[in-house]
Amino acid sequence: MSNAQIEIQLIASLVAIACAIPGTFLVLRKMALITDAISHSILPGIVIGFFITHDLSSPLLIIMAAASGVLTVVLVEFIQKTGLVKEDTAIGLVFPALFSIGIILIAKNANDVHLDIDAVLLGELAFAPFDRLILGGMDIGPKSLWIIGTILLITLGLLVTFFKELKVSTFDAGLASALGLSPVVMHYGLMTVSSITTVGAFDAVGAILVIALMIAPAATAYLLTNDLKKMLLLAILFGVGSAISGYWVAHGLDASISGSMTTVLGLLFLLVYLFAPNKGLFSVLYRQKRQRIEVSLLTFLLHLGNHSDDETERHVKHLNEHINWQKVKARSVLDLALKNNMIIIDNDIVFLTQKGKIFTSEAIDYIITNKNSEIENMKDRFFLFRG
Amino acid sequence: MNLQEYIELVFTDYTLRTITLGTAVLGAICGMLGSFAVLRKQSLLGDAISHAALPGIAIAFLIIGTKNSSIFLLGALISGLIGTFWIRGITKNTHLKSDTALGLILSLFFGFGMLLLTYIQKMPNANQAGLESYLFGQAATLLESDVWLMVIVTSISLVILLLFWKELKILLFDADYTKTLGFNTRFLDILITSFIVIAIVLGLQTVGVVLMSAMLLAPAAAARQWTNSLSIMVILAAIFGALSGVVGTAISASHNNLSTGPVIVLVAGVFVLFSFIFSPGRGLLFREIRFRKNRNDLQLHKTLSFMYNIAKTHEDIAHPHTIKILNNFQGFTRKSLQKLEDKDYVTIQGNMWSMTKSGYHTAANLYDQLTKENNE
Repeated sequence: MSNAQIEIQLIASLVAIACAIPGTFLVLRKMALITDAISHSILPGIVIGFFITHDLSSPLLIIMAAASGVLTVVLVEFIQKTGLVKEDTAIGLVFPALFSIGIILIAKNANDVHLDIDAVLLGELAFAPFDRLILGGMDIGPKSLWIIGTILLITLGLLVTFFKELKVSTFDAGLASALGLSPVVMHYGLMTVSSITTVGAFDAVGAILVIALMIAPAATAYLLTNDLKKMLLLAILFGVGSAISGYWVAHGLDASISGSMTTVLGLLFLLVYLFAPNKGLFSVLYRQKRQRIEVSLLTFLLHLGNHSDDETERHVKHLNEHINWQKVKARSVLDLALKNNMIIIDNDIVFLTQKGKIFTSEAIDYIITNKNSEIENMKDRFFLFRG
Repeated sequence: MNLQEYIELVFTDYTLRTITLGTAVLGAICGMLGSFAVLRKQSLLGDAISHAALPGIAIAFLIIGTKNSSIFLLGALISGLIGTFWIRGITKNTHLKSDTALGLILSLFFGFGMLLLTYIQKMPNANQAGLESYLFGQAATLLESDVWLMVIVTSISLVILLLFWKELKILLFDADYTKTLGFNTRFLDILITSFIVIAIVLGLQTVGVVLMSAMLLAPAAAARQWTNSLSIMVILAAIFGALSGVVGTAISASHNNLSTGPVIVLVAGVFVLFSFIFSPGRGLLFREIRFRKNRNDLQLHKTLSFMYNIAKTHEDIAHPHTIKILNNFQGFTRKSLQKLEDKDYVTIQGNMWSMTKSGYHTAANLYDQLTKENNE
């Protein structure tokens, strides 16, 4: 590995970490799309900053860009507060307008601006190591490494200092404000950090892929855990992992680094989405199927209980047509009930056992009182085999 | 170039005529279908779909190897639909919320599309030029055949909309009720979502991936402010969309270095801003005026009832009192006093006021009327 390659991977990893931290909170606060808005609408800020300084690497650009990011949030909230349109419409109206202004500003001054829209949106990580920061005649590394490193340090510092406050205000905004934590300060603090991170990251990975790095690792982690600290760690891990492997994919294909980083993130998300232990697609579908059968079982037991004095109602053949189930389903429900000792079949007549009776009455109690956690506990107590 | 010359040019110049027609038709279809997106609270779906269409375009190019906009549209349509249904899958089957799902699909598909685009650029194939125009849109590349395609799709979607008008309307406003009535909500849902995807895909070439969502939202959001009726909203949105297309094209054609897409979006944005402020029913301006009027009425009533309470304690209701005693009462202003006198509720002589008979009567019945209205 050459020096430049190591530097690129280092920058990519730092960007991934810096994005994963605010991203986790944005996903939890259901504000993931605001990153989409911010990453587009920083464009006019950058362009105006460039007109003032005529220097693409001036810190004023970052400040202007972050300011226009915050401006987006304020505008979205203002429009939303008027009640004329819903929040998502407000987001969808604000950022294309700001982005258009940015593009027009660039296009109108195309002759004396060396600012490429493609570069703003897509970034080019491969060139990052060539833009060196020279301090007192000494080369101390790529400029973007220093920028994103500083942003990461600030983000980490804020995270450690305000972790408790962030946690409370994310999960229980009412409690947070009752405890004296201003939700407004938290909200705008998070928004400012997100804007600055977006700005810092955009010249490495481009504006669109910042969204991917913010949302995808956090969403993937959220499918695997419900613990905030674990989620943060997992998100960082996923971000860094896909940053580094994405780099090598791009190296192999000779294609855009940020594009392949996102693709790796996408594949990772797809895997977790399908196979996550409790919340993945397959386990959700499996659980739904199991619950369907168990509900049928309960209906069946209720039917038996209601007709405890009428043998014709409890004949195996009769059940088939009476509850209107297909043969396979009736078979599997009957089997499940038998396996769990809830019924006995004597001479093709179905009898409810004592256990079946208790289960039915407790299940009815549950349905009437409807306390969420109880049914799973109850099923654990009664079922020897699950559906 | 003055306006008349420009209009003449629109009718004589092939390119300009094509672009103007194309953007107008596009604006109309986007406005029409966008109304449904906005009312279904799927505003940002457009943003996600337009980004998700990119890999489809790139893959279509990889397969056929030449530039062919209708095949590209097909590819975009397929990957847009995959994106849409994945979004629905995520929100339905996991606890991730719709905003996360939208952001995920948007960025992941787009990133994959970018990977493919950069890969294509490195290929030794001379035909690749032009794929980039899908990113930011290039109305100048519109051909007459593209416009015809748009017209055909617009008329098909119009016919479908009219056929399923009643069902779609009821689905919009009460999905559960629709289901209980026995309509196939799943089918209707897929129908309208597919048409939204088609509209977005059609617009990609003209305004580009990034700005497409505004094309869909802005006319509908503007139209929403003027009416509460779905049919009028859809028609208005189509008109707003077409107008933004025409005006945007005109502005960008009469300036150098002004790409059409962003200008159209900004024109649509102006429509939205205008509607937000000046619409008579919901607009901010008239709402503020109504607020002020209500506040003044309330102050007037407060002052009147305060006066009534004083006058009540006297045998002669016209007994004069000094204006000063009103001072410790907040609702009192010189203007409201003037107004009361204009309405002939009080008479003012110097710095004394006294209540008239009609004023006394009104004040006595002030709250009676309110309670009466409430009881009805």
